[in-house]
Amino acid sequence: MAPRTITPFGPQHPVLPEPVQLKLELEDERVVSVLPAIGYGHRGIEKACELNEYPKNIYLCERICGICSAIHGMTYCDVVEKLWPLDIPPRAKYLRTIWAEMARTHSHLLWLGLLADAFGFESMFMQYWRIREKVLDILEITTGHRVTQSVSIVGGVRRDIDEDQKKHCIEVLKDVRKEAEALNNVLVNDYTVKARTVGKGVLSYDQAIALGLCGPHLRASGVKEDCRTQGYWAYGDLSFEPVIATGGDSFSRAAVRAGELYQAIDLQLEAFGKLPEGELAVKPKGNPPANEAVSRVEQPRGEVFYYAKGNGTRNLERLRVRTPTYANIPSLLVMLPGCELADVPIIVLSIDPCISCTER
Amino acid sequence: MIDKLKEISKDQLLAEVKKYADAKARFVTGSANDLGDKLEITYFFNASPGMDLSALRFSVGKDEEVPSMTGIYLTAVLIENEMKELFGLKVKDLAIDFGGHMMLAQDSPVLPMLKTEEQLEAGKKGGN
Repeated sequence: MAPRTITPFGPQHPVLPEPVQLKLELEDERVVSVLPAIGYGHRGIEKACELNEYPKNIYLCERICGICSAIHGMTYCDVVEKLWPLDIPPRAKYLRTIWAEMARTHSHLLWLGLLADAFGFESMFMQYWRIREKVLDILEITTGHRVTQSVSIVGGVRRDIDEDQKKHCIEVLKDVRKEAEALNNVLVNDYTVKARTVGKGVLSYDQAIALGLCGPHLRASGVKEDCRTQGYWAYGDLSFEPVIATGGDSFSRAAVRAGELYQAIDLQLEAFGKLPEGELAVKPKGNPPANEAVSRVEQPRGEVFYYAKGNGTRNLERLRVRTPTYANIPSLLVMLPGCELADVPIIVLSIDPCISCTER
Repeated sequence: MIDKLKEISKDQLLAEVKKYADAKARFVTGSANDLGDKLEITYFFNASPGMDLSALRFSVGKDEEVPSMTGIYLTAVLIENEMKELFGLKVKDLAIDFGGHMMLAQDSPVLPMLKTEEQLEAGKKGGN
């Protein structure tokens, strides 16, 4: 038996935009075991949400993550609305859906670029991020911000999309779809991409269930589960079928995200076409009642789970947020042992880790 | 309201969790809540394939030990460690024990998620 060494992977590493450390036990170049170390970005947001009055928590939740900021705000509002319960206006449901899918579009473009960067395909990385800028521009036009978008209030939304903005968004989204198709064709057919991703970090259907995965990571192992099938907000009115792959490896995870990129654009175009007229919000009466509720929303990285418990005061008794990466990190304990050290970055990146979300 | 919530005792926990694992349900997450003299623990599961959510709930004294479910669902390792260090839940037989320092540093506040007397009192009085 070769001598074993402990090699730290992170907390600062080129494939990790945020700090997480994996303590890799290696035998030569082969990983024998792994121990994740998190806690570099813990901010105590759940506790802060108990201490603030409930409307102020929207801004805190929007800062759980820079990428899915708007969806965190929407999901927080959704779970608090369920405490009454409140039925938000149809236009607000459509607008939340449009912004959620816009966030998915730019998040998947970001991740596809990072994947290309991880295996040294620099030009592909730059092209994905060039296209992503167009999506960030329409997010800025419609929400006021490129990142950390604040659009939701308890009872609906606080911004609207007018006719001119709608036409501009539709034009941009069609253009982004065309450009993304050209790049995705390279991604899924290129020899070097396949050599670095096919068969790396494989999880079977049963393992994906047993490990409690979510999002593209779960669907890449053939499990057809997506929160959007619940039909929340406008999803019940739109054509939606989860994108799945069956390889269970890093390549399949890329293929699912590439498929979801088109789907997110198509959902936005359909939602713009059906966008109803009407009010943007309803006003909640009194404080959130003594009740508890759960809201499960599909973020780009997978299911975000909000649990809220009200006690009749302006403060929530408890808010629990389980983000997608929190569910997906334990899968590294199964995927990494047995792989080569050189494959660790790709496998870690394949779960699209968001540590800011995980640590809250 | 959580539609499919089953109240259990901590002694029933592993047997109930095993039923979910045998049915190939996905473990979603857990949540702890400070009730003053007790902790209220809720575990959520998803019946796969589909989006059917159900939950197990039990209350436990702050000095009592709770068995870890990581022998059945390894993925519970993060939430059980988190409840241990933020709420002081005494979890027995964790698959990986971060020793109270998964989220918190050496100089972090101790058991920061426990409520103050004022918070507990305000919650009991309610509003509206």
